Amino acid sequence: MGWLKRIPRPGLIVLALALASAPLIFSNPYQYDVAIHVLTNAMVAVGLNLLMGYAGQISLGHAGFFGLGAYVTAVLSANYGWPVYLSMPAALVVVAVLAFVIARPILRLSGHYLAMATLGLGILISIVLRTEAGITGGPDGMMVPPISIGGTDIYDERYWYALIAILLVATVWLALNLIDSPVGRALRAVHGSETAAEVVGVHTLGYKVLIFVVSAVLAALAGVLTAHYSGFVTPGLANFIYSIEFVTMVVLGGMASTYGALVGAVILTLLPQFLTGVDDLEMMILGAILMVVVIFMPTGLVPTLARLVPGGRR
Amino acid sequence: MSAILECRELTKSFGGVDAVADLSFTVARGNIHSIIGPNGAGKTTLINLLTGIYTPTAGSILLSDHDTRGLAPYKLAQRGLGRTFQNLQICMNMSAVENVMVGLHLRLNRGFLAALLRLKSVRAGDRDCRARAIELMRFTGLENQIDQHPSEMSYGALKRLEIARALAAEPELLFLDEPAAGLNANETHAIGALIREVAASGVTVVLVEHDMKLVMDVSDDVLVLNYGRKLAQGTPHAIQNDPEVISAYLGGA
Amino acid sequence: MFAEFLQYLFSGLTAGSTYALVALGFTIIYNASHIINFAQGEFLMIGGLGSVMLMQYGLPMPLAIVAAIVLAVLAGILIEKLAIERAATNDIVPLIIITIGASLFLRGGAQFFWGKSIHALPAFTGNTPINIAGATILPQSLWVLGIGAVVVCLLAWFFTRTLTGKAMLAVSHNPNAARLVGINPRFILMLSFALAGALGAVAGAVAAPITLTVYDVGVMLGLKGFVAAVLGGLGSPLGAVAGGLLLGIMEAFTAGYISSEYKDAVPFVIVLLVLFFMPSGLFGSRATERV
Ligand SMILES: Nc1ncnc2c1ncn2[C@@H]1O[C@H](COP(=O)(O)OP(=O)(O)OP(=O)(O)O)[C@@H](O)[C@H]1O
Ligand SMILES: [Mg+2]
Repeated sequence: MGWLKRIPRPGLIVLALALASAPLIFSNPYQYDVAIHVLTNAMVAVGLNLLMGYAGQISLGHAGFFGLGAYVTAVLSANYGWPVYLSMPAALVVVAVLAFVIARPILRLSGHYLAMATLGLGILISIVLRTEAGITGGPDGMMVPPISIGGTDIYDERYWYALIAILLVATVWLALNLIDSPVGRALRAVHGSETAAEVVGVHTLGYKVLIFVVSAVLAALAGVLTAHYSGFVTPGLANFIYSIEFVTMVVLGGMASTYGALVGAVILTLLPQFLTGVDDLEMMILGAILMVVVIFMPTGLVPTLARLVPGGRR
Repeated sequence: MSAILECRELTKSFGGVDAVADLSFTVARGNIHSIIGPNGAGKTTLINLLTGIYTPTAGSILLSDHDTRGLAPYKLAQRGLGRTFQNLQICMNMSAVENVMVGLHLRLNRGFLAALLRLKSVRAGDRDCRARAIELMRFTGLENQIDQHPSEMSYGALKRLEIARALAAEPELLFLDEPAAGLNANETHAIGALIREVAASGVTVVLVEHDMKLVMDVSDDVLVLNYGRKLAQGTPHAIQNDPEVISAYLGGA
Repeated sequence: MFAEFLQYLFSGLTAGSTYALVALGFTIIYNASHIINFAQGEFLMIGGLGSVMLMQYGLPMPLAIVAAIVLAVLAGILIEKLAIERAATNDIVPLIIITIGASLFLRGGAQFFWGKSIHALPAFTGNTPINIAGATILPQSLWVLGIGAVVVCLLAWFFTRTLTGKAMLAVSHNPNAARLVGINPRFILMLSFALAGALGAVAGAVAAPITLTVYDVGVMLGLKGFVAAVLGGLGSPLGAVAGGLLLGIMEAFTAGYISSEYKDAVPFVIVLLVLFFMPSGLFGSRATERV
């Protein structure tokens, strides 16, 4: 395995190869559709893991950012006729600004109070999306225009898969870089001991705000892509239960493990596929997974397995 | 030369109880100063005030003649304050050397974009940072535990790890809150030597300690607190012979 | 004008006393363990939906309610024994996640076994509204208020007058000292989950004729109860009751005077504002870690 060490980020290369070759086994649009779902969820999970796994700050409201991103680009492009290449970044900016403004007071809180505040924020977003029917179409949702390149609208799942896969690989690369830097170390120190980090000069609140905004923007990016890909948004995108699912992905895959977040997203997104016929069991199984993982594999799947492989760490 | 630290009528009360009361004293630059006093005398509270963890109820703190009012701990760290903790504050999610590397935070390229793109400067900085952290672990006698997980290290080693981390930030003024608590005689002796070495490198050290032998051995100056108030301040010799100190503290102990 | 005001006050107090009971459930467990039990809302669901289902199996209502309460108590004990106690951690995040898992499990179970449709428990003593100064109040609302008051008094008695209750308080104030005088914190923890289960189920059953009940009714009620507990300051029973009533009243007045659509937003707006300006709630004390 020595030669592996000389390649920078072997995991990233494996990920890129896997994503590039996965279409070989896809035989119909539905499979692409599921794969795209996996990818967008993975994007959220990677971001949320930066916040929860590394910086140790819980968020029970990330579906709010996902839904808000989706709706901002939907409203701007559908209602106001903005071209998609403007409405998409605009949605990210809106979410970034909201996250930044709210992050300062929220991240002064810790523990249960932080959980409460993020949860409240997520629910407020979903209530607003549901209630402001004049803008958002209310509970029924609204249509979203597709992305068009050179005048042709893109509907083909294969293009979407390629686009989102590339964005996900870029996200993972940036996330790994961030963690392997003084910024990443400061974030982990915030998790380990906020007081210790402060007294060696780490502006803990600043770093918490930074990573909160980063993770919110990643959730929004996934939402934006989902909106234009599926051509339809409903307030359900911002549901509290999805916030919980995102948290589950991070915890299941492994807190403080970027690849763990990916694995968690894959498992949790595919889970319903294996439960067709017993759909009603999905929630119970989700609940059982959460409890069992935290009790028996407190560090999550990937770190637990990595410890079994000699020399493997991340 | 002016004092590196000066407190004027400093008070901190917790729900009506004054943990530090009307305390005025100065710390001269470049010596080893000790703060002693019985349990609950307010020593840790005083350090928490000085390092910005607590805000004073009244009074002021001057750092090289600049008022530190309203400065967060990380700002004070940027101005040259460093400390260790009586209740250990080790990041249990990081290896020993990484804990020390956190201490080097202020010396590194902390740019967000540079970090995202893993620019050469970040990579080079991190390599140097690790080398420097290892050097500091050697200096504090932890050369055999570089990549260990803190949960596998002894209490005494963790106390040293805190010192290494604090030194990494290159403080001008270093507070050590009971570095010898829980250590045996040999370890205490070694900590004493370490403190001397640190001071010799130009750092002003403020030591809070119950081990009187250590205090009297290393200190140039001793401040005695009782019920949050100053009982006496002077050389170890003067303090040991101060009748008030003897009756209130040393004699009773 | 006044009649309208009174009307909103009634509905606010009715909803508020349900929130207060949920908040008390949160508080009791929090005091015993510093855990926030996200499955608290599911105890409510078991109380309400469970009663309905047991009646469908042929039990008379009082018996069905008692059985549903027993069911919720069992659920509480099982969560504590099988999940909380086995998680060897004091970290807040994993514990939050375990109780979220428990809540999904219970909710999913209810969905699987009892279905997704909405049910109403029959009102205890009819549906003829009572007229008070121009406003009307349902007899069931009086039941909610009355039983809420009785439960609060019983709890007050339990915590101040009985040995077990005092032991529970002792554990919350100083777990180590409590252990030294021979109190078993494990037992107290189990008891707190049982008690919280009972409280939730009682609230769920008495409120079910008004709020209706369905497998996921506990989500919002649970969250609102959590908001009430945070408003009052986590750990303060008095705060929980005050927070619950306050929340119910504010919600009712918002729905009446401002916008009924944003009624559900009220708790979360309030709790965010309170947390921004008073990070430990209205009646909570700020606990800082000593370093
Ligand atoms: N955060 C706090 N909240 C309330 N009271 C506090 C707090 N911190 C310290 N105190 C109180 O202030 C007084 C001084 O405590 P402090 O920890 O400063 O003493 P100390 O001199 O460091 O004692 P020791 O030698 O035991 O470490 C004590 O009565 C303590 O209970
Ligand atoms: Mg102390």
